This record gives sequence, structure tokens and C-alpha cells, in this order.
Amino acid sequence: METFKFFNWVKEYGWRHFVALIFVTFAIYPILFVVTNSVADFANLTNSKLIPEGFTLKHFKLLSSDPLVPYFKWLYNTYKVALIAAIFNVFLGTLAAYAFSRLQFKGRRASLLTLVIVQMFPSFLAFVAIYLLFFQISDIAPFMGLGTHFGLILVYLGGSIGFNSWLIKGFMDTISPSLDEAAKVDGATEYQIFRRIIAPLSRPILVVIFVITFIGIYSDFILAAIFLKDKNLWTVAVGINTVFIDDFNADWGVIAASSVIAATPIAVLFIFFQKQITGGLTAGSVKG
Amino acid sequence: MIYLSMTLSKISRYVLLAIFNALIVYTIPLALTFESWFFLSLTLVIGILVNVVYFTDRFQPMKWILPGMIFMISFVVFPAIYNTFVSFTNWSTGHILTKAQAISVLEDRVFTPDDQKGLEFEMYILQDQDLKFYYVANLDSDNILFGRAVSDDEIFSTSYATHEPSLFINGEFSIPDGFYQLSGKEQIANSTTLQELSLVIDQNTRAQLYKISVFGASTGRLTSTSQLYTYDELNDVLINNATNSICPVIKDNFECDGNEIEPGWRVYVGGENYRKLFSSQRIRGPLNIVTKWTFQFALLSVIFSFAVGLLLSVILNKDGLKFQRIYRSVFILPYAIPAFVSALVWKGLLNPDYGVINSWLGPLYEILDVEPVKWLKTKESARSAVLLVNTWLGFPYMFLITTGALQSIPKELIEAAKVDGATGLQSFWRITFPLLMVSISPLLIGSFAFNFNNFTLIFLLSGGGPPIVGSEVSVGWTDILISFTYKLAISGGRGNLFGLASSVTIIIFALVLIISAISFRYTKRLERIYGNI
Repeated sequence: METFKFFNWVKEYGWRHFVALIFVTFAIYPILFVVTNSVADFANLTNSKLIPEGFTLKHFKLLSSDPLVPYFKWLYNTYKVALIAAIFNVFLGTLAAYAFSRLQFKGRRASLLTLVIVQMFPSFLAFVAIYLLFFQISDIAPFMGLGTHFGLILVYLGGSIGFNSWLIKGFMDTISPSLDEAAKVDGATEYQIFRRIIAPLSRPILVVIFVITFIGIYSDFILAAIFLKDKNLWTVAVGINTVFIDDFNADWGVIAASSVIAATPIAVLFIFFQKQITGGLTAGSVKG
Repeated sequence: MIYLSMTLSKISRYVLLAIFNALIVYTIPLALTFESWFFLSLTLVIGILVNVVYFTDRFQPMKWILPGMIFMISFVVFPAIYNTFVSFTNWSTGHILTKAQAISVLEDRVFTPDDQKGLEFEMYILQDQDLKFYYVANLDSDNILFGRAVSDDEIFSTSYATHEPSLFINGEFSIPDGFYQLSGKEQIANSTTLQELSLVIDQNTRAQLYKISVFGASTGRLTSTSQLYTYDELNDVLINNATNSICPVIKDNFECDGNEIEPGWRVYVGGENYRKLFSSQRIRGPLNIVTKWTFQFALLSVIFSFAVGLLLSVILNKDGLKFQRIYRSVFILPYAIPAFVSALVWKGLLNPDYGVINSWLGPLYEILDVEPVKWLKTKESARSAVLLVNTWLGFPYMFLITTGALQSIPKELIEAAKVDGATGLQSFWRITFPLLMVSISPLLIGSFAFNFNNFTLIFLLSGGGPPIVGSEVSVGWTDILISFTYKLAISGGRGNLFGLASSVTIIIFALVLIISAISFRYTKRLERIYGNI
């Protein structure tokens, strides 16, 4: 009777656990490997033991003290660029979304369609043209030319604003128009309706869009790589690539530590907003 | 009060507009000097739009849309148009400048006629903390000249040498503070660099190192220089003053006695870049390989990660299964980590010599008696590795969306099938799967489009390698179109082939357009199906 019960369990549940565990290993092994190596005394690539012998923070200390690898400078640059770009992106996207959602005008549908079509092409596709454009801007206005954070932020601003306004507009459409009509009767201006009613009610989607945009810019490699030449201005994505030099004779512990620092905040943010992010992306993809 | 706030907002609006217009006005002459016609037109269009929209009240909705629109037009739409323009030019290393700029660079070149090598004198060579070289030329006691020694490229941007009689006290040379004097041996060690440098005394006169002396001061020599090239605007030729030869324009360069003179300039070349892509065998071959692999990579990435994601979501979609939440949170992890980190970590794990993957597989290699796989170093292993890692990166997303879709399928449908005698597998393939595909397939197409241009993964994991031997341009077996473009334009080691790269970008644009068109048609069809259920 007992064995029958066990077989029944295996048939119903056991094999599911078995398969799931295989993929748990697949999913988590590289992550655990990096995390443990970042605190292991003798970190190396070959060591397949996941439980390190001897706990140490020396790799993190080394990372902050090597003048040739200004890692925390890169981290600061990344947060700076991603924060500024994401804030303005959401702000400008919200303004446009309001007009698309609440104002009636000629060409509204056409412009919305244009937005969708333009956003089919990721902005980095034309990176050659962006590079040459900013190469020339460097002559005219060096403060926003090639190699500057300002220029890079401008490019990021253009990159996802269409898609973002589209998503925000979709959310604003679900806010009952009776609210702003009532406000209009009371003599509120367009700006007041936006500021006092629509924008506050849209906050949930704005937070999600902000997080998605922030993560997107944080993780961007190609534009930052063509834009930033000065080591001190690099973002983490560009800089970390030089820490991972090809033959891996470099200290693997430091490499692991740099990965952990770069990945953890984003992973936490992502898991926290996981439902909204996949939901938002889904909605966007279905519509787009 | 209301009136006051109205005027305030009006005033601030005008102040902002004034600042904006000042910027535009400041930019226009600069754009004119640098002949950036595209940039100029962009500035003018934006300037006019902003003024029309914000000075009049006729375009209310535009006041909301314009700020975002400006960025989208400037940095998404405009680059796409500009890219098309660049693809019809020869824009590349050696042909970066406009013709006028190239001529002005060439007219700055100088040479020293043989009969102009003259006066010899004592010379001292110094170095500052930045390791820049400085010369002291002791022409005679009244003329002691000091200044930075510069290469030919810097001659026109440097200031003339200054008179510094204080460097000699009672006829003895004293080293100024903050400088280091090179000994004769050190001068010999640096002689190749030093021979290229000169101290600029006036427009036509320079002092150069002539003889290095191991003991005591070295000898310098004065030289007169003259302009090497003169441009004859009337005949559109360059005259070489050293050889007196006439250099005509050959397409995008001047040519002197059969030699191309660098730099050339950029010109419109029509469809030449496209002709090169499609007819030059040593470019067409690699382009074919890359295009084919781009499709294979994107398609297989979607299939593998979807298969894994679907399998896991079906397995976990079981009432009463324990640890579901733990499994789910673990499966999300690979998706939560920035791809640039994952790609680099996997590159480490896959390292053929030190990597943990090969040390894991070590026993297997021994049993099978085969050589360890040289991950990322051969065509097949690199392609498998790229797909493996992309499956790892992609399956969590597929798991999440299929789980969501599975849960939204009404249970009654499955129950009904069971009642009709369908087995578990039958009801899955006949009912669950088709219903799943209705909501999932647009996302799969989206994922395909994303991977079609997944530059970060390819570039950071395999770098596009291993290289395809025999290609005229730098390209590898795992390069996808976008990373191929990157190599052409930025990092291929064959200079910057911006024109050619832009023409590849146009191909990518066309393919993305086709994919999107299919996706639009397909999703509409699915919506109709869904509507009929």
C-alpha cells in the first residue's frame, strides 16, 4: 500500500519536481557560481565547488581601490545617465500621452499609428548615423557631442519615448472621462486637469514605465559603447567588458565582484516589479 | 491672482522660448561653417516648429506632444533618414572630411626645401611631468629660444618659441623648474620620436634636432619650411611645391604622380556600396552567411526558450504541487540580471581552458575519448554556445507569459475534453496549445524581432567570432547583421567603413519592416480567430 502510494506520488508530482529541479540547477548555477566566487578566498574559474572555503570581501575592496579600473565611477555614470534619461523620458511621454488620450485633433490616429510604426525599429539600428551625427555636433556644440553624457542622454530620450507614450496613453484611456469633464465644468484649465487629475491617477503605470526605461538604459551596451571613449565617462556595461579580459588570467574574484554589484540592484528592482513589467510588456506587444 | 499667474506663465514661456531661439541662432552659423547641411536643416525644422506651436494658440495638442516628438524626430527618425543618405556615400576612414576641409588640411602641410637647411647651434632637450618634450635652442647669447617640441600635425596650433635668456646663467645652462633634461643616451633611445619634432620659431622657421651628442649639448639646425601643396581652384588641381607636379582629382582624392594623397573627401557614390555588398564575392559570401545565421539564431533562440518555458509552465501548472512559488522565483532569476553581465559570466564559464563547463564535462570527454570542446573557438561550438546562453536568458520570459496564458484558459474546456475521452496529451495538443498560441504568438514574433538584433549577447559573448577566413572585411561565424555592421563601422580593424555599414543597416531596416508587417497581419488574423471562439 505504501509503495503504491509512493508510485502514485511520483506519477502525479514526483517527476514534475525532478524536471523542475534540473532546470533550477540550469537557471541558478551560473548565478550562484558568480556570487560565491565574489566572496571566495581563492576565486577561480575552474573551481566548480559552490561553497567557498573562506569568506572574504577583498575582491570588493580591490575593485574600489584599483585606479586603472574606476569601477564605482562607471557605476555612478550609469545611474546618473539612466536616472536623468528615464525621468525626462517618462515626463515627456506623459505629456504626449495626455494629448493623445484627452484632446481631439486632426491627425490623432495617424500620429498614433506613426508612433507604432517608428517604434518597430529600435533606435540603435541607425547607430552609424547617430555616431556621425554626433561626430558633427561635436564641432558645433562640444558639450553635447560624441563622448559626452549629455549627448548620450539625448539619444536615450529619443529611443523609447514613442513606445512609452503609447503605453501611458493606453492606461489614461481607462481613466473615466467623467472626472475631467466635471473639472472642466468647474473651470479647470487643460493643464490643471493634467496636473491634478490625470497625472496622479496614472501614477501606477508611470512608475512601471520609469522602471522599464531605467533598466533598459542601464543595460544598454551598443550606444554607450560607440558614444563614450573616455574611460572615466564609461557606463558599467562598457567598462565591465574591459575587466573581463579575454584570457581570464585576471583575478576572477574581482570579475565576479564587479558582476554582483552591477547585477544585484537591477535584479532586485526587476523581481519587485516583475508582474507589472511582464504585464506591461505583454500589453505593449499585443497592442504594438 | 489668477491674472497674475496667467501673466507669470506667459512670461516664463517667453523667457524659455527666448533662450531656445538664442540657442538656435547660435547654432546656425556654426552649422554653416562646418557645412553640416543635415544638421542645419534639422535645427531649422525644430526651430520653426517650436516657435509656431508655442507663439500661437492654434495648435493646442501640439504643445503637449512636441517636446517628446522633437527627441523622437531628432534621434530616431532623422538618423534613419541620415543613414540612408550615408549609405550612398564613400564615408570611411580617409574620406571623413568634406572636400573643402581636406584641401585646408593639405594646404597646412609643409616641407623643407634642401637649400633651406642652415645655421647649427647648441640644443638642450627637456621633458615635463606629462612626458612632453621641450627644446632649448641656444642660437647665440641674445637668442635663447624655449618651447614645446611638436609634431607636424600640431605645428599650426602651437605658439611660437619664447626668448628665455634667464636659462643661461654665466653661460651655463640651468634646467627650469618642473623639467627634466634628457641625457645623450636618453636622446638616442628617443631619437625616432625626437626626429619628428620641431620647435616653431616663426611662421616659416623651425629648429630641429640635427646631431645627438652623448657628452655635452646636442646640435640643432634651423630649417625654413614652405607650404607643400597649393590648391588651384580654377583647374581644381593640387600643386605639389616640392616636386612641382600637378595633382588632379581622381574621384575622391588628389593623385600626385600616381599616388593617392591622404586625406581624401566624402562624395556621393550612388549605389556603389550596395553593388559591393551584392557583387563583390569576398563581401557577398560573408553577408550571405551572416544573414542566414541571423535568421537561424533568432528563430532557434525563440524555439528553444519557448520550448523550455512551456515545458516548465505546464509541469508547474498542477494543483497541489509543492514548492511552486520557490520554483517560480528561481526561474525568473536569469531574466532579472542585465544581459551584459550574464553574457560575460557565461563567456567565463565557457572558457575552454579554465572554464567550469569543460571541467564539468571532463569525465564525459574521457569516457567518450574525445578532445575537449573548444567553446567559442570553432564555428559549431560558438553557435551552440550562443544558443545555449540565449536559451538561458530567454526561457524565464517564455515561462512567465505561458504561465499567464495557461491560467487564463478556462478549465471547463479541458474538463469537457476529458469527458469526451481525450487523454492528457491529446487535450494538450488539440485544445490547450492552440489556445495558448493565440495569445502567445505575437509575443513570440516580438521575441524573434528582439533577437534578430540582439547585439549585446553576440558582441559580449562571442564577439561574433570565430573569424570567417578569407573575407575582405572583418566578420565571424556568430556575427548577426547588427554586429557585422558594428564591425564594419567601428571596430573591424579595417578603418571605419561608415558608408558600407550604412548600406547593411538599410538591409536590416528592410528585414525588420517585413517581420513587422508579417506580425501585424498575423496578429489580426489571430484576433479574428479569437473573436470566433
